[in-house]
Amino acid sequence: MRRILAQARKELTQLVRDRLALALALVLPVGLTALMGTSVSLTVTDIPIVVQDFDQTPLSRRYADAFRTSLTYRVVTLPAATSPETMLARGQVRAALIIPPRFEHGLRRGWPVEAQLLVDATDGNTAQLIRGSGGQITRTFARGIAGAPAPPIRTATRLWFNPGRDPQKFYGPGFLVLGLSIFPTVLAALAMSREGEQKTILQVYVSSISAHEFLLGKILAGMVIGFVQCVLLAALMFTLFGLRFAGDPSPLVVGSVLFVFCVVSFGSLVGAAIPNQAAAVQAVALGGFLLAFLLSGLIFPIENIPDALRWISSLVQARYYVLIVRDAFLQGGGWPAVWWAVLAIGAIGLVFYALAWRVMRRMQVKA
Amino acid sequence: MRRFWALALKELRQIRRDRRLTISLIVPPTLQILLFGFALDSDVRNLRLGVVDESRTAESRELVAVLTQNPTFRLAGSYATADALADDLGLGRLDVGVVVPYDFARLRARGRPATVQVLLNAANANTAQIAQGYVEGAVTFLNRDLTGARAAPVELRPALLYNPGLVNAWFIVTGVFGTLIILNGSLVSAATMIREKERGTVEQLLMTPASALEIITAKMVPLFLLLMTMVGLVIVVGRVVFGVPFRGSPALLLAACACCVLTGIGLGTFISTLARSANQTQLISFFVNPPLAMLSGGLTPIEAMPKWVQPLTLLNPIAHFASVARSVLVKGAGLDVVYPNLLALVALASVLVAFSAWRFRRQLG
Repeated sequence: MRRILAQARKELTQLVRDRLALALALVLPVGLTALMGTSVSLTVTDIPIVVQDFDQTPLSRRYADAFRTSLTYRVVTLPAATSPETMLARGQVRAALIIPPRFEHGLRRGWPVEAQLLVDATDGNTAQLIRGSGGQITRTFARGIAGAPAPPIRTATRLWFNPGRDPQKFYGPGFLVLGLSIFPTVLAALAMSREGEQKTILQVYVSSISAHEFLLGKILAGMVIGFVQCVLLAALMFTLFGLRFAGDPSPLVVGSVLFVFCVVSFGSLVGAAIPNQAAAVQAVALGGFLLAFLLSGLIFPIENIPDALRWISSLVQARYYVLIVRDAFLQGGGWPAVWWAVLAIGAIGLVFYALAWRVMRRMQVKA
Repeated sequence: MRRFWALALKELRQIRRDRRLTISLIVPPTLQILLFGFALDSDVRNLRLGVVDESRTAESRELVAVLTQNPTFRLAGSYATADALADDLGLGRLDVGVVVPYDFARLRARGRPATVQVLLNAANANTAQIAQGYVEGAVTFLNRDLTGARAAPVELRPALLYNPGLVNAWFIVTGVFGTLIILNGSLVSAATMIREKERGTVEQLLMTPASALEIITAKMVPLFLLLMTMVGLVIVVGRVVFGVPFRGSPALLLAACACCVLTGIGLGTFISTLARSANQTQLISFFVNPPLAMLSGGLTPIEAMPKWVQPLTLLNPIAHFASVARSVLVKGAGLDVVYPNLLALVALASVLVAFSAWRFRRQLG
């Protein structure tokens, strides 16, 4: 135990002496999470749309105004001698609303009237949003017209957990997970591979410390840094992203401890296996960043990944931590909702530790 | 000129001998484009739907059947009470809940409107918005069937242009394309540029009669050729595996690729002048690349970013390249449409290459 603490103290001293690394360890995760969490979103507002009104009557203008007042759209005027198709092709607008001639005439007589919406579907998700909200606006407009029959079935929709449909409340916690997947891992991998690269590992080998003690000391130091980052990032969630704990925060606390243990063990494993700092950072970029980014449900749902790839995501610790963090800040399901995710992170962490120990255990220079 | 060729030949041979470099130009880009293309899919489908049917009539069952007909929703469970449904929604076992009131059939028989409650887990704002659109669309559809005529006097007919099947991979692959060029390009060129510095062979280069400009050009040209090969590989994978259309002019796309590759080389050279060792270039790239990739509009729409971030993307080569790639490949646009982005790419490429070459030259001196 004393040797573990001594090893951890040595690691922390080393980090504190390296001002640049310390700044990178504490400032960068916060900056990056803040920037990406606020910037990355799929929910587009202010979509440029052009209206071509062949009718030019009070009613057709009221219909166009319904689009103009929606927060989703920004109506662009159609320049003279330009067709909406050209504007779509040039990417100046994402959609074009075409109101046919005799729009009001038909409506007044109770004839069926159709307006057309041309949607640039290059981005499928935005196209779907445009299609959905265009339909909503049209239904509301139709209801407002005198003499319209009342629909027999109505829906009353209630949005739970994020009633303002604020995308930041969803992506903020996601990028907290990404930040915690990258930085503690990189630092741990660097600390470990440095020993191998600068051959200071020999000093460790000749000392009386055992592989377990050496690893635990390294991991303990890494976890201390990870916690500081975790607390800083959580503070960011409370301030910039305006989130509060939705329920029992204890699964988040336990989950965070295990997650930090898990990523630091992963970093140590990479560092021990690859005694070259540049190569170790590249391996972490692949394992820590790319897998956490692609296969954890951070931005896009895991359910959409093809089966052949999806099984990999069950081995990615970030996938479970994303669930825990989102549950703590948004849904508030507590232990009944996420107990299995906490267990999964712990199990993956133990596997990483065991693997790291296997690499280190002989405490001998490789022949 | 002869001096230039001699140096370029030396670089080419050096690259050829370095098998790791060649592999790193073939394996990671292919893997990355496959992973991104397959794993990133924003399509909303298979949402778990929970139902509380207090009415238990043919009418209410018809409503549930209409909702679960399309692939967006999958019936995950029926509940006796709304509380039980709410619990499962809170535990994350459901995404959508529908509560049909007990007087649903009676109200309908009397010709009075019946209200169905829809509970959505809106934690993911995007999914919630699309799911809401689907539920309301399905109910409108049912209404039309019930009244025998159109329930609404006005209807909107959406027509999806360019990508009517809403294949999400077309968006992702064209977006990741530029990211791959810039990231791999800068990594590889930083690695080759730093090598002379690390091994101390800069001295030998200085002893040759070649001028600093010749040295830099000789270093960049082989890299450029090598990276253009990688570009070809990525295009083939995108075309063959993901079926990305190729509607516009190939020359236009290649021009944009060339500018993008040059920008990547410039970025890599610049990073190599900041660093003292290969380790440092790796670390610096590690911190430059993720924001560059994320704030490019390659994976998520630029319009969804906050207003103050959007102007920053004008400085991002990946953003311009994604715009060109999408216009040319998916929309079949010509030079008259993409020239602003192409000009921006040319400008970014020349500024970065010139600036990094100047810094590299200063190091030689």
